[in-house]
Amino acid sequence: MDFPALGLTLRLACLTTLLLLLLAMPLAAWIASGQSAGRRVAQAAVALPLILPPTVLGFYMLMGLGPATALGRTIIRCFGHPLAFTFPGIVLGSMVYSLPFAVQPLVTGFASVDRSLLETASVLGAGPWTIFRRIVLPLSRTSFLTAAVLTFAHTVGEFGVVLMIGGDIPGVTRTLSISIFDQVQELNYAAANRTALWLVVLSFAALLIVYTRGHRSQGAELG
Amino acid sequence: MATLQRAPHHRLAVHRQLGPLRFDVNLEFSAPWTLIFGPSGSGKSSLLRAICGLSGHAGTEFARSNAEGQWSVLSSSVATHLRSLSYAPQSPTLFPHLTVRENVAFPSQSHAKAPNHTLLVEQALELFEVTGHADRLPSKLSGGERQRVNLARAFAVPEAKLMLLDEPFSGVDRAMRDALLPRMQAWLQQHQIPVISVSHDVDEALLLRAEVVVLAQGSVVNQGPASEVLNEEWARMLKILGSV
Repeated sequence: MDFPALGLTLRLACLTTLLLLLLAMPLAAWIASGQSAGRRVAQAAVALPLILPPTVLGFYMLMGLGPATALGRTIIRCFGHPLAFTFPGIVLGSMVYSLPFAVQPLVTGFASVDRSLLETASVLGAGPWTIFRRIVLPLSRTSFLTAAVLTFAHTVGEFGVVLMIGGDIPGVTRTLSISIFDQVQELNYAAANRTALWLVVLSFAALLIVYTRGHRSQGAELG
Repeated sequence: MATLQRAPHHRLAVHRQLGPLRFDVNLEFSAPWTLIFGPSGSGKSSLLRAICGLSGHAGTEFARSNAEGQWSVLSSSVATHLRSLSYAPQSPTLFPHLTVRENVAFPSQSHAKAPNHTLLVEQALELFEVTGHADRLPSKLSGGERQRVNLARAFAVPEAKLMLLDEPFSGVDRAMRDALLPRMQAWLQQHQIPVISVSHDVDEALLLRAEVVVLAQGSVVNQGPASEVLNEEWARMLKILGSV
């Protein structure tokens, strides 16, 4: 069992989930708040990582963050080195890769809050931030859990993007899924099996949390 | 019948399409209680929404007069939550995750500069006889209780300058309504808050002794004291009752 890879994977998944939820919250609130063409474009762009091969995503990010682009040069000036083949680099890659898994549940959650509640709150004197904090957030808390667990599980299971951006540096960018790939390459099937089992258990536990919580909150609303 | 001349406190002009109706309305509100009256589908609730600024400000002008008689137009420049309105919507849209007391306290907690309004909240709960349900969630209440909490919340908005009540007594039984009305009117008089309410109930209009605006198909067809304007409606209703 590759424990450094397990630790690294958990660290990557936790950080990605935290940062991505912070980013996804305002983005999802904006998308859910209207019907404009701009919002539809944003929604399509957010969903893109669902259908693009991870290697395509990884390739463009590798190029985009490198010295060939203005963005990449700015990053190099700020950090003193490119983001490729570093831990922050794979965090950024994971955030892009898991973006739809964080944004979509939140959009659905925010959009399902009854509009007349928001209108009433507004007439009664509540500003947009108060309405978001006191009405929208509590009424869509199940979506936050769904977004967090899906992002976490998806990040734990990613392979292509991390390999493209991060390479395979032990302790820095080698995650569990890359470790399995290495173990299979070395024909070490027993080790690969142990690592793979960890991934299956982690992913199953995550999904079980989502479905159990979803079921419970549905029951609470009906009750 | 001679009526006292009062200075108007608010005015509303709506000249636009709202939903299925074309509105051509110029109204001045001067009475302590104005009741917009008309059959369902005549556009009553749409007028309240226009006052709130919930349907955009195109073709709409809503203005408020201060004590010196100076008018300020709110419709184009003041956001809904800054209009100092109080509101009880037609179907009680109580916040489902908040208890009755938390619902009623919502307006005062949402006002950034508001001091402690516990008294205002407790008074409102008492006025509408829902203190006994204060710690319950809205889903545990009956329809009539929900409507009373809806009203209590409107009566707990700090520093409201106009109260909007959309079918305030739907789901409330007659005996309860008759008990509530004088209390509500006394409270409003004490706090000097004018009301614009919406109803299709002739009985309610007469009981309130309100100024009545009769609306039909997006236009004002009559306006005046309830007893005069609704005489015709009243006679018609008596005739129907008599013939049963």
